[in-house]
Amino acid sequence: MDTVDREIAAPLMARVRKARAAAHRRASLPPLAPPFVLDVTLEIPAGISILLGPSGAGKSTLLDCIAGLVRPDVGCVRVGQDVWFDSQKSIDLPVHQRRVGYVFQSLALFPHLSVEQNIVYGIAQRAPQERSQRLEEVLQAFGIADLRGRKPAEISGGEAQRVELARALVTDPQVLLLDEPMSGLDEELKAGIIADLRAWRTAKNIPILYVTHSKSEAQALGDRRIVMRAGKVIDQPSAPMPG
Amino acid sequence: MKLAACVAALLLALGMPIAYWLAYATWRAKFLLEAVVALPLVLPPTVLGFYALLAMGPHGPLGKFWYAAFGHGLAFTFGGLLLASMFYSLPFAVQPLMNAFEGVDPRLLNAAAVLGASPWRRFASVILPLSLPGMVAAVVLCFAHTLGEFGVVLMVGGNLPGITRTASIAIYDNVQALQYGEANRMALVLLCFSFVVLAIVYGVNRHARRLWTPWTGR
Repeated sequence: MDTVDREIAAPLMARVRKARAAAHRRASLPPLAPPFVLDVTLEIPAGISILLGPSGAGKSTLLDCIAGLVRPDVGCVRVGQDVWFDSQKSIDLPVHQRRVGYVFQSLALFPHLSVEQNIVYGIAQRAPQERSQRLEEVLQAFGIADLRGRKPAEISGGEAQRVELARALVTDPQVLLLDEPMSGLDEELKAGIIADLRAWRTAKNIPILYVTHSKSEAQALGDRRIVMRAGKVIDQPSAPMPG
Repeated sequence: MKLAACVAALLLALGMPIAYWLAYATWRAKFLLEAVVALPLVLPPTVLGFYALLAMGPHGPLGKFWYAAFGHGLAFTFGGLLLASMFYSLPFAVQPLMNAFEGVDPRLLNAAAVLGASPWRRFASVILPLSLPGMVAAVVLCFAHTLGEFGVVLMVGGNLPGITRTASIAIYDNVQALQYGEANRMALVLLCFSFVVLAIVYGVNRHARRLWTPWTGR
């Protein structure tokens, strides 16, 4: 367990409101899908928070607002003392300057890069020695060391999912956003990845927002549950549940 | 050959920012620029050449500027021919580049952004390598299109041996002089060259599609 990481762990505070019709994504980042209406106030402490709700509840849009891929109309997004977005103070940190790890609903490994190159993409600016040390750490932690030279097209779905998680976590994000990261995987693969995530949660004490429809994933991972419907939070615990 | 190589190289550099802007800008009136870029596809080359000649002439804005800057006119020079050819071949650079940029999976750009990549790094490390087939297509199409152009060259460049005479004009001259053997030899070279160029474009595209197909097995 890393005591330094525990000390710097800061809760995520998001208060965002967004109308469907307003301009959304950044110009250089083409829209994936039209964002949903959103009116949400959340405080996410360190640990895994499961975000539940029917399709169209605005779960992915909320994650996009936190990451900076969608600009809310009004509100603020804060991690500890770091302000990522504040409509009143006209603060809107670009996506690439927010220290966020994000695993999307569908896989997005760079097809022209090897597994190793995919993983170090987010830490390319760091010193070579630190870079290779971090790479080895996550390769071992996620059991994907033997895949390092392969291209994404040459690995299986479960392996690709592990590589995605490793790529998101290697950057030491302040917040981790996981949008149905295990949909479509079989139970055996899920169990392995859940074990990876639990180990990581113990080592790196950061807020993790995990969107899922699966009750088994929610039970296996969730420290606390948040339920959304029609762009609003309809149920969230006032204090973290025991893990 | 020299003109075609220069046009292809310059249009690759000029076409990339235009294609990027057309692919990703959210400006509502960008269709106007799209129309300007596509104009040479529908305009008769003589119309384009005529306006280029007027603009480059001693009383045209471009001609006046060129004279003030370099002390000589632009029409009937290699520089003038280069400029007109670039405009004439612009859609052949911008269209394949724009299609290639638009074809890059937006999820990859979002992934790069959340991994800390600035817009420039996203372009250099994701868009550019995944658009390689589009870049190859842009270069070879510009090269081949310039090699075969006739109307614009005749209007703007004239037919000065060693300066503005191009292959297609040389063929025309040979036919006018009833030298069919020489005309046939040059025409055959152009025909074979064009075929090889197109075969390379289609071959590279097919290979790249197979190599860089994103993982979609879920």
